[in-house]
Amino acid sequence: MGIFTQSIEVDCTPAGVPIRMRWQGREYRLAAEPVRWFERRNWWTEELRAERGRGPGLVDYEVWQLQVKLAGVGPLRTFEVSRQADTGRWRIIRMPEAYRESA
Amino acid sequence: MSFTHLHVASAFSAHYGVSWPKDLVSAALADGADALAITDRDGLYGSVKHLKACIGHGIDPILGVDLAILEPPPHPAPHGKPPPMRIAGRIIALAKGHSNGAGYAALCHLVTAAHQTTTPAGVAKPSVGITREELATHALGPDGEALLTILLGPGSDIGLATGHRHYTQARTLLRTWRSLLGASALRVEITTHLNSPGEKLSTAHAIRMLRCATDVGIAPVLTNAVRYADPDGAATADVLDSARALSSLETLNDIQPNGQGWLKPAEHMHHLATEIARSASNTSLAATLLRNTAALADWARLDPIPDTGWSIPVVPEAHIIGITGNPENELASRAEAGITRLIPAQANDPLMRHRLEAELSTIADLGFAPYFLTVAEVSSMITRLGIRSAARGSGASSLVNYLIGISQVNPLAHDLLFERFLSRDRATLPDIDIDVESARRHEIYREIFERFGSERVSLMSMQNSYRARGAVRDAGAALGMEEEDIDTIAKQLWRFSASSFREALEEKPELAPFADRLGTEKQLDLLVDLTERLDRLPRHISMHPCGVILSDAHLRDRTPVEPSGISLPMSQFDKHDMDPMGMLKLDVLGVRMQSAITYALEEIQRLHPDAQAVAKAGGHRGEAPGEIPDYIGPNGAIDLALVPLDDEPTFELIRSTHTLGCFQIESPGQRELIGKLAPREFNDLIIDISLFRPGPMKSNMVKPYLENRHGFAPEKYPHPNLAPALAETHGVTVFHEQVLRIFDVMTGCGLAQADVYRRLLGNPHAEPAVEALFRSRALGRDYSLDVIDEVWHTLAAFGSFGFCKAHGAAFAVPTYHSAWLKAHHPEAFLAGIWEHDPGMYPKRLLVAEARRMGIAILPLDINRSSPGYKVEKLDGLLPPAQLPVVPRAAGAAPPGRYGIRLSLRGIRSVSEREVLRVAAGQPYDSIADVRARSGLGRTSLNHFAALGAFDSLQARTGRGNRADLIEHLRAPAGRALPQRYRPIPGQLALPLGDLDLANMAIGAAQTPLDEVVRTELDLMSIDVTAHLMESRAPLLRSLGVSHSADLLGMRNGTEVLVAGVRVATQTPPMRGGRRVVFISVDDGTGCVDATFFHEAQQRCGPLLFSTRLLLIHGLTRRTGPRGIGLQALDAWDLSEKSTLPDPGHLSDPARARNGSFGSSAARPVREAERSLAARMAAEDLDTRGYLGA
Repeated sequence: MGIFTQSIEVDCTPAGVPIRMRWQGREYRLAAEPVRWFERRNWWTEELRAERGRGPGLVDYEVWQLQVKLAGVGPLRTFEVSRQADTGRWRIIRMPEAYRESA
Repeated sequence: MSFTHLHVASAFSAHYGVSWPKDLVSAALADGADALAITDRDGLYGSVKHLKACIGHGIDPILGVDLAILEPPPHPAPHGKPPPMRIAGRIIALAKGHSNGAGYAALCHLVTAAHQTTTPAGVAKPSVGITREELATHALGPDGEALLTILLGPGSDIGLATGHRHYTQARTLLRTWRSLLGASALRVEITTHLNSPGEKLSTAHAIRMLRCATDVGIAPVLTNAVRYADPDGAATADVLDSARALSSLETLNDIQPNGQGWLKPAEHMHHLATEIARSASNTSLAATLLRNTAALADWARLDPIPDTGWSIPVVPEAHIIGITGNPENELASRAEAGITRLIPAQANDPLMRHRLEAELSTIADLGFAPYFLTVAEVSSMITRLGIRSAARGSGASSLVNYLIGISQVNPLAHDLLFERFLSRDRATLPDIDIDVESARRHEIYREIFERFGSERVSLMSMQNSYRARGAVRDAGAALGMEEEDIDTIAKQLWRFSASSFREALEEKPELAPFADRLGTEKQLDLLVDLTERLDRLPRHISMHPCGVILSDAHLRDRTPVEPSGISLPMSQFDKHDMDPMGMLKLDVLGVRMQSAITYALEEIQRLHPDAQAVAKAGGHRGEAPGEIPDYIGPNGAIDLALVPLDDEPTFELIRSTHTLGCFQIESPGQRELIGKLAPREFNDLIIDISLFRPGPMKSNMVKPYLENRHGFAPEKYPHPNLAPALAETHGVTVFHEQVLRIFDVMTGCGLAQADVYRRLLGNPHAEPAVEALFRSRALGRDYSLDVIDEVWHTLAAFGSFGFCKAHGAAFAVPTYHSAWLKAHHPEAFLAGIWEHDPGMYPKRLLVAEARRMGIAILPLDINRSSPGYKVEKLDGLLPPAQLPVVPRAAGAAPPGRYGIRLSLRGIRSVSEREVLRVAAGQPYDSIADVRARSGLGRTSLNHFAALGAFDSLQARTGRGNRADLIEHLRAPAGRALPQRYRPIPGQLALPLGDLDLANMAIGAAQTPLDEVVRTELDLMSIDVTAHLMESRAPLLRSLGVSHSADLLGMRNGTEVLVAGVRVATQTPPMRGGRRVVFISVDDGTGCVDATFFHEAQQRCGPLLFSTRLLLIHGLTRRTGPRGIGLQALDAWDLSEKSTLPDPGHLSDPARARNGSFGSSAARPVREAERSLAARMAAEDLDTRGYLGA
């Protein structure tokens, strides 16, 4: 599987659930319920500080798996995206198909 | 929208939970919750704190526990011992509420059962846990209704099976649970931490659990398996996971999958329910989950008073304490009997009568008569065992306590106030502490269990929490740092809480080398952060050093117990839980000094078996010449309780400040204070002890007191009305009792209410109201504003610090007794001190003290040494080379007649069994005899030889020296005789002489002195033959080092070098917040107490707390007519020869100067001398009552 840190735009419902995304200038619509989970970080190797009161985002980060179709009609593609805790920007962290395609 | 969390671990789940109960309750409350559960691992450790927080905030508490399930292995061995049990997941058990305590009692009994070391069938358990069958017996009441509800969550056997996708197994297991407990006592706990799809604690895992529950017909409930109040706690939980597994984070298997185990708000929980339902493709499930959860929460809501016995004091039943009638009448008649026994002369004294009536009526109103009778029962039980005891603390304020034999202090004689101890305005059970001989404390515990029945008694526990050192070690281990590296850092941490680690790094010079590495070494910043995170978190519980809980036959319904270190059951509750739970706690404190005193008294009696001999040896004189004082019994037994408290030689000894070994007054600071205060009577000792406390030190009460006492300044009273209350301390407020009187005099509030106000002083929320009330009432009684201001200022500064005079009085008794013994029977006293080691100093310092007292230290001897330290009469008269420095009572036996023989105990790697066998076999007539009968192992035999224990045997044959014998014994020993050839008891050995010694090769060089000393230090931790510093004498001479004994003759402010072995380090509380470090070193001629102020600390850095042998450069500092100390300027590690200064350092212009850190080093020394006193006073660094030299 390929690992990316490309930026991407994601629109969410007021409850914070993604509904559509824009990537490389194109708009993708969700073709299935998004799935989310929290993935662990090895913060003790990645971070310089772990002070008390630092808040969420040190130990894990939220990942959304989005199954989308280009403009709602293209082939089904899967993106795993995450919102950065500090900047609020979204990044792609995995594209399972990219790996399959390049293999 | 609301949600009740039913699975919550608090910080009291050691090495697991992160947040304190009160923080969890606050977080739940902030989210609008009206109930919250606490389900700590393995116990109810945090339950009382949880109850308190819930009651305080008006929400319903729910109590439960998180326990491991134990089961036998699948294929039991066909015969033989039952195989060990194994752990089959963990469950949560919740107690039923509104059941008049039935649910809570079942929970307590379940936890107690889980801590038994074997199952009811006698199978050993690998760890704390419970079998399913035993769980069922606790969960279901007599008629089968559920008293506990069991939650089977992701960590249970069902959860583990579904986690591994063993669906059939999961259903089978759940059916087994159902047949055991019935569906009504069971729930399946659905939890998702939103872990990666398919993993444990993922939503997929939750759905598998949900399907299993539906299939078997068990109701599912939703929880979040909480470990921390907010997401910030997740990193702390990681570190705790690492500490629990003793593994670094990097290599940890059992780490939480992510950081989602926090107390999520209701909104989040509802979302999770929806998310689970959607993934399970059954949207109605969300509502079911939430409804089931709410229903279970309602079932488990506790009504604290009927369910847990909250706040209702419980004492043993009347028949247990041996009374049949009305307890109040019983108490009154016992007090009456006490009057006849103790103070017959005052039987009709109206003052005493009035006091007694007032006390008895207060006790009756509070319903505490059974409590007093219970404590009296314990007290008389201790006396019956023949154990020294003394009540300490505010209990000494009560006349009733005195009359019924609980306390030995007559409160009327010392003007102590009952209201400080107990009043109608305060309905908590009072504290009565009993000091007993430490050596026999456990015996008393066992007797209490025996006497009251083990169902009514339990030991109290205490929580051991992370302090700086432990925290830094576990944080470092989590980060995978080198052990050696962590160790270096940990050793430099000295008395500050881990939560201020980063701050400490900036301020404390001994941490400077570490601070310099911050920012450059990546892990160190993390180390500091993690150390701060761990601060104060509980690590484990242990037996409280003195608390015993006494209750009625239902104690086990109200507290779970677990085995303690001494095999008696111990409650899971600590001292903070006692009052809230209405538990009667008795503090039975082991005081080593009491044991030392007992030992000394026994030695006196052994050496001088009749009254005449004791009086002669101790210089005790009665009224008339030749009369024996009445405190000496005909058999030579001394009754200290009858010794008058005005013995002049005792006060002379105290004033000499040679008080090493004396209770409470042996520390450097106390010796200095004693020197300045110069006590003349018993009340002075009470004041001395009360002044040497953080409160008086911080609020600068010592200096004005001393000035007034010695007449340097006129006594001042804010108002003449206060003079009666303050006269005994010359106008300075020292005692709680005085604060009570001030409140009473100026506001007319009564002493009982005054004590309520006193307790509110220093409490930021309550103090303003007290101030307002004080001011308005005092104004109303026509006190001027100035007077009110001044008095309030004193009261506020006093805070809650000051000291209860009753405490001081109770403490002063053993202080006086120990000084009395040191003055009259120094040898016996010192033997007692060595035997029981009650003080702050290492034993080796007392060797030097023995030399100063003119007492010989007699070497270890195979025939003359006993298991304990014994006083021995010396053959002939061996007067010491010089008169002893430490004064003795006039008329007591002169120095040089007695010595103390080193004991068989306390030698490295010699076991207690060997000690007893050696002693039983004495005397020995040859080395061969020792080998044959003493039972000493090879190593022990060599150690004995190295310490010269066989010198006397060798002297008889006149062959060889100690080195020859050591060499001889090192060779392989001949085989011991077979049993049948060994002499039978009573049979005499054939007098062959000492074949060992006769055949031993001789001619080895005499062992050099420094090697002898090193061996002694190594094996006994004391240097007997010569002082440790003696071998360094040439080096020290070349440096021009002064001796401790010579300092007293020097002018104040003389610049000197001293050297010695560290014997004590203290960082007492100081006004102004700047830390002062006191280091005492011993150089063989005495102790030098060196004071390191800020600048000297900066210079010495890492040496401050870790170096054993110190060379110190400083200025002498008069502390009183008999006292001198050192203000340190610089210090070196004596064992690091290369870093030591050159000879002539004292005239080196570059040396450190007082107040001249850095540039102004050229300032003349005279300047430093003159400024010393003033500077310390000006900086408020020395608040120990500086008087001017």
